[in-house]
Amino acid sequence: MKTLRNPVSRVSSLLVAAAISLAHVAAAHAGTVRGTVKMPDASRSTRLYHGYWRLENGNVPVQTAGGAKAETVVVLENVKGAHAPSARTITIELGGLDARPRLLITGPGSVIELKNTGKVRHELSTPDKPTAMQLETLSPGQTRRQRFDALGEYVIRDSEYPHIMICVLVVGTTYFSAVDDKGSFSIANVPDSTATLKVWARGKWVAEQQLDTATLGKEELTIKVVSQRDREKAEQEAKAAE
Amino acid sequence: MFLSKIFFILLALAAAIGATFAVIAPRPFERRMGALEGQRLDRAQYAAEQMFKVDAHKWIDHVGKLGRDAIIAESLDAASRGSGEYTVIHRTIQDRFRTLIPDLASGGIDSIVALDTKGRVIARVGENEKEYGDYIGGAEIISDALRGYLSDDVWGVNGRLQRLAAAPVLSKNRDRIVGAVYVSAETGPALVERLKRNLDVDVALLLRGKVIASSRGPGEMDGLPELISRHTKEIETAKRTQPITITVGKRDLIVVAAPFPGQAGEQQAYYALIGEHPANSGIAALFANATSDDLKWGQFPWLSLAGGMFAAIFVGLFLQRLEVESPIGRLRRELQKLASGDVHKVQDSSYGGKVGGLARDINAAIERFTHAPTQRSEVAGKDLNAILGPSGGSTFDLPASDSAFAGGTSPAFSPPPPPAFAPPPPPSFSAPPLPTFSPPPAPSFAAPQPFSAASLGFGSSNNSSASTVVDDGPTMLTAGGGDPGLPLPGTTKPSAWGAPPPPYEPPPPEKGTDHDATRVVPYDADEEEEAHFRHIFDDFLAKKRDCGESTVGLTRDKFLQKLRDNKASLVAKHGCRTVRFSVYVKDGKAALKATPIRE
Repeated sequence: MKTLRNPVSRVSSLLVAAAISLAHVAAAHAGTVRGTVKMPDASRSTRLYHGYWRLENGNVPVQTAGGAKAETVVVLENVKGAHAPSARTITIELGGLDARPRLLITGPGSVIELKNTGKVRHELSTPDKPTAMQLETLSPGQTRRQRFDALGEYVIRDSEYPHIMICVLVVGTTYFSAVDDKGSFSIANVPDSTATLKVWARGKWVAEQQLDTATLGKEELTIKVVSQRDREKAEQEAKAAE
Repeated sequence: MFLSKIFFILLALAAAIGATFAVIAPRPFERRMGALEGQRLDRAQYAAEQMFKVDAHKWIDHVGKLGRDAIIAESLDAASRGSGEYTVIHRTIQDRFRTLIPDLASGGIDSIVALDTKGRVIARVGENEKEYGDYIGGAEIISDALRGYLSDDVWGVNGRLQRLAAAPVLSKNRDRIVGAVYVSAETGPALVERLKRNLDVDVALLLRGKVIASSRGPGEMDGLPELISRHTKEIETAKRTQPITITVGKRDLIVVAAPFPGQAGEQQAYYALIGEHPANSGIAALFANATSDDLKWGQFPWLSLAGGMFAAIFVGLFLQRLEVESPIGRLRRELQKLASGDVHKVQDSSYGGKVGGLARDINAAIERFTHAPTQRSEVAGKDLNAILGPSGGSTFDLPASDSAFAGGTSPAFSPPPPPAFAPPPPPSFSAPPLPTFSPPPAPSFAAPQPFSAASLGFGSSNNSSASTVVDDGPTMLTAGGGDPGLPLPGTTKPSAWGAPPPPYEPPPPEKGTDHDATRVVPYDADEEEEAHFRHIFDDFLAKKRDCGESTVGLTRDKFLQKLRDNKASLVAKHGCRTVRFSVYVKDGKAALKATPIRE
């Protein structure tokens, strides 16, 4: 005996099936952008500013973790259908002459809370974009809130302790990824589209290239970041060749 | 004068060139000295950089030794592990630091700090030594030390510069890092003094746009931060500036600035080495900087200067004597001779230039005052009518149309009435009874000297050589008297006066010739009077020809006699020494003028 099914339930079943199949199709057209960012040797240092000497102790191996890779992020811009991350409030603690975290990537309208948990005062501002965040003293125990509405990159500097550099990237895309200790990154669910891949490291965009995510497949990108010195040298050589 | 002028021009040019050299010559040296001072500062900057480098290494060595101290290592190990009493560890490390470095100030140390592996301050000596327990592990030099690096850095905190050196503290077995130690060295006035002592240049330290220490006076370097801020690009690329000039008061200083390394470099922390700019090259600076040594015999070319000066003076005086004093002296002597009557004029041709012109002017003045009518002579410039008076008009009533020499319809040579013209009757010449100056009878007339018309410019005559008749014009008498038949003496006619000349036809009177220049015939001396009269005759004859008048009947002897008579009467009337005659043109006709000479 045949079981008569409710037409409504049958339609519903069909819609669900269609949705599943559409989702499967969409997933088939999305991919993962993988790769490795190769930073120049100079960026392996964990220091922004060097003195005259930096010597190993000769007894205990030095720990090389961190460096520029800890503050590097890969962003895919101009991806078709991309949207900005939602606005949120992020707290950055300033203590022990350090800032945690040092790199933020968020959407427009986000608020950054700068909380001084240390025993020294900080004078924070965005020197490159003075209108975004003016110089103010942040005494121990105080918190400063700063809202970032516009897309862009904001580098917050401490004039008393220049090594403290907080990078706030306000982006219009959710396709971004931090790099690990080896420089690897992976951005999942990137739709087939042309895109601009940009690498941010230590307060500036250090690399940029165009991609067609549809043709990448499982190919792993290798993004070689050229140091500023090498770039200037190459430019000088190009000029000399001309 | 010419050579003197040239000499003075050359002398002025030489002086101008010398002055130009005096002003300009120091400038290349000034630039060179400035460049040398800049190079000295360059070397000083290099030396300062090396000194900072050596200092940094020295501090690293110091702090490395501290990190190898067993007590400190054990204490920090305990602190890092959290074992042991915290305050005891703090005191233990402090005491150990004080034991190892009893006098921080003498070593130029501000503070020594020990930290555990988390970056927490366990103990301090020196600055803020009572404070501990704070975390500073975020500082790059500290985190580096906790990673195992020995390094240095420069901080600019609270308006002060600090040079730091940090080292890890290893465990007793040297197999792990148990903490870190860092030393901060004073970087202020003491460093400035040390740099100045070692480098022999002034030094200023800058941080965040302010001078925090300087070996120069307070306020002198206030303009330095702004000056250096204009060279930030150059500093970024070259890690130093080229020598730049800054004016402090009235002095120019040369500055070479370089950034401090480390994070202080991000805080506009610079050290500037300052040198004195060489003295300015102006005249005032030239004299201000000259010393008595510069004028010593061995330093200054006195002989050359004196030689050149005396040579210039000698040449100038020589040229002045040659061109001024000597000619003027000669001229003066000649004028003295002229005054004494030894000479009658100056030999102006023997003088050149202005003196020659002066001599010529003197001659012209002599000519004027001697021969020409002057205002001093009350009768100067008057014709014979005026001199002799209306009643005494001579036969030389020259300006009047009825002058004897004027020609025209009226008698050209109308004799004056006897009272006015009363020449003493010569013994051999009886005055003509006729008013028309009839010739005297031949026997009583002293035959005139043979007259060569050609020699006097009359040209050749068709008559005999002894004739004094001018054959191509009216004679004086016939022209003036209107009696063409009256012969003149000396003619070749059977009569004493020769053939009757053709009727006198005076040329049409010309207008506007009243102002023709008077021709002055020089009057040499009394004994040359006859020559003067002959010259006047010649001149008169030539003038008549020039004016187109007839000269028929004009004889020299009679003319000369008339001149003598007129002279005698004028001398008698005016009491003058002599009379000068001159020929001039009036109304287009030749006329004579007599000028009494009193002196």
